[in-house]
Amino acid sequence: MRKLLLMAAAFLFITGKLLAQKTVVGKVTDDQNNPIPNVSVIVKGTNAGTISKMDGTYSLTVPATGKVLIFSSVDMDPVELTIGAQSVLNAIMKTGDQTMSEIVITGSGVATSKKKLGISVETITADKLPIVSSLSQALIGKVAGAQISSTDGTPGARVNILLRGVNSLRGGTYPMILLDGIEVRATDLSAMDMSNVDRIEIVEGAASSTIYGAQGANGVIQIFSKKGKPGRMSINVSSSYGTSSYLNEGNLHKAKTHGFKTDANNNVVDANGVIIQVKPDGTYTAGVNINGVTQGGIVWNSTSPSNNGNKAYGQNFKYYDHLDQVLQSAQQHMTSLNINGGGDRVDYSFGISHNGQESNLKKNGELKRSSFSSNIGVEVFKNFKVRVGTQLIYSRDNFNPYFTAGPSQIFSMLNTSPFIDFEWKDANGDYAYVLPASPVSVNGRNPNYYYQYSFGSNKVIDVIQNVQANYKLNRFVELDFKYGINYQKQDVNQVYKNQSQNINALSRLSFIGGFSSNKGGISNTTYNTTFQNALSTATVRFDLQKDFNLKIPITTVSLVGYDYRKNVAKTYTTTGDGLQLYPIYNMTQTDTRTISTDRVTPFITFGTFFNQAIDYGNLGGIKGGFRSDFSSAFGNGSKAQTFYNGNAYFRLSQLKFWSEGRIGSIITEFKLRGGYGEAGIQPNAFDRYVTLSTAQVGSSLAFVTPSTQSNPDLIVEISKEKEIGADITAKLAKGNWFTGLTFSTTVWSRKSEDIIYTIDAPPSSGGGGLLTNAYSLSSKGYTFSLNLNVMKSKDMNWDFITNFNHQASKIDDVKGGADIVITSSAGYGNYVLRAGEKIGQLYGLKTFTSVDQLRQDGSRYIAKADVGKYQLVNGYVVDTSTKGLMFTNENYAFGDPNPKFNMSFINYISYKGFGLSFQLDWIYGSHLYNQTKEWMYRDGIHGDFGDEITVNGQTGAWSNYYISAYSDMWGSINGARNTVKDYFYEDASFLRLRNVSISYDAASLIKVKAIKKLEIVLTGRNLLTATKYTGFDPETNSGTSNSGFDRGVDYVTMPNSRSFMAGINLGF
Amino acid sequence: MKKKLTYILSLTILLVGGSCSKTELDVKNPNSPTPESAASEAGIVSLALGAVYRNGFNGITDTKYNGSWLGGSFWFLAPAYHDLLADVISSEAANNITNQVSVPDYVILDDGTKITNASPAKAVVRLNNSRTKAGTNMYYFEWTWMYFLNNACNRVLALVDQTAFTGDATSKKNAIKAWAYWWKGFAYSRIGSTYYAGLIKTDPDVVSNEYKKSSDIIAEANANFDKAITALNAVTNIPDYNTIVAGLIPSQNKVGKGGILTPTMWVHSINTMKARNLLVNKRLSAMTAADWNSILTLVNNGVTSSDLVFTGRSASVGGYSSATTGSVAPLTTGDPTSTTYKISERLIQEYKAGDKRLTNNYTSLITYLNQKGGFTFSTRYRLLDGGAGQSGVSVISSRTVGAYELFMAASYEENELMKAEVNIKLGNIATGLTSVDAVRTFQGAGVAVVSGVVTDPALAYEELRKERRVALVFRNIAFYDARRWGVLDDVSQGGGRTKAVVVNSTTGALNTNATINYNFLDYWDVPDDETSLNPPSATSAPVKNPKP
Repeated sequence: MRKLLLMAAAFLFITGKLLAQKTVVGKVTDDQNNPIPNVSVIVKGTNAGTISKMDGTYSLTVPATGKVLIFSSVDMDPVELTIGAQSVLNAIMKTGDQTMSEIVITGSGVATSKKKLGISVETITADKLPIVSSLSQALIGKVAGAQISSTDGTPGARVNILLRGVNSLRGGTYPMILLDGIEVRATDLSAMDMSNVDRIEIVEGAASSTIYGAQGANGVIQIFSKKGKPGRMSINVSSSYGTSSYLNEGNLHKAKTHGFKTDANNNVVDANGVIIQVKPDGTYTAGVNINGVTQGGIVWNSTSPSNNGNKAYGQNFKYYDHLDQVLQSAQQHMTSLNINGGGDRVDYSFGISHNGQESNLKKNGELKRSSFSSNIGVEVFKNFKVRVGTQLIYSRDNFNPYFTAGPSQIFSMLNTSPFIDFEWKDANGDYAYVLPASPVSVNGRNPNYYYQYSFGSNKVIDVIQNVQANYKLNRFVELDFKYGINYQKQDVNQVYKNQSQNINALSRLSFIGGFSSNKGGISNTTYNTTFQNALSTATVRFDLQKDFNLKIPITTVSLVGYDYRKNVAKTYTTTGDGLQLYPIYNMTQTDTRTISTDRVTPFITFGTFFNQAIDYGNLGGIKGGFRSDFSSAFGNGSKAQTFYNGNAYFRLSQLKFWSEGRIGSIITEFKLRGGYGEAGIQPNAFDRYVTLSTAQVGSSLAFVTPSTQSNPDLIVEISKEKEIGADITAKLAKGNWFTGLTFSTTVWSRKSEDIIYTIDAPPSSGGGGLLTNAYSLSSKGYTFSLNLNVMKSKDMNWDFITNFNHQASKIDDVKGGADIVITSSAGYGNYVLRAGEKIGQLYGLKTFTSVDQLRQDGSRYIAKADVGKYQLVNGYVVDTSTKGLMFTNENYAFGDPNPKFNMSFINYISYKGFGLSFQLDWIYGSHLYNQTKEWMYRDGIHGDFGDEITVNGQTGAWSNYYISAYSDMWGSINGARNTVKDYFYEDASFLRLRNVSISYDAASLIKVKAIKKLEIVLTGRNLLTATKYTGFDPETNSGTSNSGFDRGVDYVTMPNSRSFMAGINLGF
Repeated sequence: MKKKLTYILSLTILLVGGSCSKTELDVKNPNSPTPESAASEAGIVSLALGAVYRNGFNGITDTKYNGSWLGGSFWFLAPAYHDLLADVISSEAANNITNQVSVPDYVILDDGTKITNASPAKAVVRLNNSRTKAGTNMYYFEWTWMYFLNNACNRVLALVDQTAFTGDATSKKNAIKAWAYWWKGFAYSRIGSTYYAGLIKTDPDVVSNEYKKSSDIIAEANANFDKAITALNAVTNIPDYNTIVAGLIPSQNKVGKGGILTPTMWVHSINTMKARNLLVNKRLSAMTAADWNSILTLVNNGVTSSDLVFTGRSASVGGYSSATTGSVAPLTTGDPTSTTYKISERLIQEYKAGDKRLTNNYTSLITYLNQKGGFTFSTRYRLLDGGAGQSGVSVISSRTVGAYELFMAASYEENELMKAEVNIKLGNIATGLTSVDAVRTFQGAGVAVVSGVVTDPALAYEELRKERRVALVFRNIAFYDARRWGVLDDVSQGGGRTKAVVVNSTTGALNTNATINYNFLDYWDVPDDETSLNPPSATSAPVKNPKP
């Protein structure tokens, strides 16, 4: 009977279709009248449907039973239109509740609505990014769950990105970067063309980066480039100009007064009362000065309890503001032109852009970057599309080689005593190099000398070329093939001129360049990286209801893929030692020439993956799969490593009681999700190959046994992660205010195992260490983001977004149990990696804060009988007889330098043509070791030396109070110089007004039809910072970029800058 | 449809073409030779060359240790600690605590003023003997460089018998063996003469935790020297031997006293080193006639004035030690306001009046006051770069590439002065002082002869003592001398020195009759970097000098 009914129904359906169908045509547009392609148009209650073309048009045969058309698209609210008698139906679709209806692809590899994700994927669209010169800078504060910080203010510098905890000690924290589905490994995120970005997706951990296997542990940032839209060609031109000035939030300055021996007229004199003047070599040391007078050195009895650094400059010694002499306000500009459009089967987008950014160091030059990008899509035949994306980037800077090699100019600038004039020139008109004024200014160097005697250039060409072919075989099967090549060539040229006639270089027996003599030399290095990534996937989709007529609302998606990556990096350095005096600076002018580096590093990895998703209607779904990888870097290379993943989501808000109940009218979306995933970080290319290195000794080649032994048995570092989260959308009030909010939260924890590091071997073994899978780490954290529509009316819209992120990582276990000691640039101290403790802690001496300070064994430092000889000054114990501070002579862990949380508050407000956006970033509980300050304490240069304190009733700028902080520890006066001490370990929390942007679109005023947009934008960046940190900038740190552990030291780092930009955006 | 199929086909090909075979994964390291590459005649010469000049002298590459270096390679730091402790030089910079290790416990100035070090250097050095202190642990460096050298030589020895040689394989093989045993002997000599205990390590891949007392290490040093002599005696084909040795002595070293040593010259160097091992590891007061006679036998067959010896020089290409920062002498050269090491007044005062070596190597200057810490460190002298140009007078420093000759091991002067000391101690005063005169003549000192003039044994020994300080400056024996003469000991135990020249660091006043109490440790504790990773066995000798 049932069979019969079914047959009858089928008959009716077919005949009905034959007998009474009609054709409906129309166009789908957005509220700006732009056509929307790929909109699914379905006759409600039937299987009949089509997809809108590139120009938004559609044509559909509607069965007689069809009454209503449903238009749906990924990030739009669906629209239902009644057919009635009409044969033309135009649909206008509006952008829906963006955060939850967005379609994302990163992580799962299959385009999926955020509503149906079991993992967390963060997204950001280009219009939400500020106008800055680099994409990586633009992402700061924008991504929930990420710690992105600008740790170096040098134009073009990389940012530190930490997505979910520290997973690797050697591998760092830098995530994988994808552009349109293909990995970009050679080109850094900061160099990529920002004007070409459409949107960005970020998956943060192993649980979410499910398809990336052996390279996914640090998370993935995927950039989608702009694609043309069908219809009229649109042209956008943007141009902005501005200035930036370096930040000095802690008012870092040199002491305005001094404590040197002076005569009655306040002249600085030597031990015999001779007035000290500059010498012919620019120094203030003992000897014959420029007046022909023989002088001794400065007398600075800095450790004497009576030395008061309160004497004014102004007689023979003037005060020069070195920051003013060396740093500057810098210019920057950005211009871009984008053209896009498309026709029925073709879409195109072209962009060119050019940026320029001067260094905040005077004379240091400029970074210029020019980009060309294109993205062309062609529908070759129905359901077969080919897309070609190109990015060509040419970056070049002429920064001084001493600056690019390290922050030498900043160190030089800060460690020269303030009475020395950097602009002083000797009798030959040359700058002096070494500027001692013994006993101070010992490390004084003149930045101008570097500029006079060295120059360089750094030219980088990046090519990112992607090709994608996509074929929808039928409604079940989609085949996709992507291939990308990312090529980078970098040429670094460094020239150190002949310094053999410089008076100072001769008298101080010093010169720059690291060549064998003061004749200087040239070094040319070419880095060449070719990275290829090929990815083939097949996606099979079934809808059990539609395809098999089963009554269960189940849809399935299967993804199977094969992924191949190959990287070949080459380095080639030629060095020429000894240049001539005439100004020709090429290799043929050098005395001896060598090839100092010739190295090629191949790396290959490939893997297959399979993922299966099953969704039950709109209610919930599960996904699971695995990826199996091979790699040339895995131990012995032959064994595959398999990574498993699984996740699920459940939308309570889809349950009837909810959606139809009162709660459903307030909380429209309530989704719970959870996932588990594994991902890896690979060993370095040659870690498993035991080799000898070579070095030239004399005229022969020597074989050298590497100090650290390779390990043929290394395995990939594996990170296993669990995350659970919730996504909630609520309608709050009915009026214009607080209409809706979206809240997403994720809690995660992960264990990273087999982390590779070198464990020390005893010296007698003949080598320094063995590379091995030495560590287990664990991290956990939670994050939330809140998206609130504060106000929405016809003329005005105000969105408020806040992102919160907390994370912490610790070391669970170290192979062999011995501490691992790692160099830091903080004092003469080190990071110690110790099981059970947090990663990246510094160890050092504690300042006594109580006369009852105890040793680790519980004994007293200060005998009870001697307590009266000490008093507290600024919270520290001071010996009243020496005025010196007291420090332990045992090391303590200072705590985690990483922030307890980071948080952002972002507002987007528009009113008619006006726009205002601003962003506040709050980094709480972070610490920095102020090594910059500690060095400046050495010779009494730091501004603190002019600050008065009161000891024993005597008020003065007592130099030994400060000197002791640099030099002393208990039982060793002057025996702990530049040692790591908590005195210099500072709270680096800050609240920063990251970005303010004000815009006005005047297009509607001028009423020229061709001009669609005429927007004037004023942007300010890093305008205000509230911090207790006493250095230049609490956001910087001098650790290796994206290091897992070296994140807490400020050692003469280039600070970020405060910038103002004025720009214009024209749209045609 | 046909068209479609073509596309689909192409796509399939692409998909398949992307596949990859596992053999592709073995990328090797195309940049570097493998250990197998060393097992050939050319390979083992390269390995033996790198073992010494790279693994040995430049083996510490870990930045936690070398991150605060002032120079580069073994020769700038390990010998510098010796020269600091022996009061040849001083240091103001805190790098690698060079400013701390040699601050005396106290000085009593001419007027009776006593300046005391609140933090005795011995304790400060020991406080820093911790693995977590890394670069500030003085004990770490010499130990590590020498064990790196030792083990690199072990690798050469492990491979040499498996290597095929052309020509007279025995002579070539033995040249390699002599090289490896010589440098092992050198390494053990330095360990045994510096540390309270050491380790004997012969298998390149096996670590021993059986610490031996220093005299056992010296015995092992001499045993290795003897093996080197055995190997040299087995050399029959000199041209083939020369082929190998020519490859082991870097080209820049084949100048001056450096070059391809004949087996005989090499044996002379070994004998001088063995004599040194005996001399410097006993207190002068404990030396017996038998000891003196043993030394005499060795030095009578030691380095002669015409012998080539083991030297080191810098080079602009293929260097293993920098001309300006690679060794102690260039780092002491220049204006003391900017040099790493400053010349000590106590060295200068050892030069006899009229000694041309003083005027050819130093100028006096406005007193350089060391106002921080080192109250005996101020100086009125500057070490000249390349000397003052006096003809025939020795030059002890140069910062010009290739110009400075570093004596790595034995030298004629050292051998001759040991001869002098033995003879003076055995009562042959005139013979002994003849040797002192010979050394002075050899170095162009231009001072009057003392042989036959000075007859008092104590005064004769004083001539010898001064001459060792002056003639052997920067030749790695000053610390040993200070120890065996008792200078390092606490004044209460008869140590320290009197009649010292000291410039007051606060006032600049000159003192000529000061008393300095150094009170430094005579033999160093084994570094914690070793003992914490390789704890001593139950039967090991003590790894810490029991002296408080």
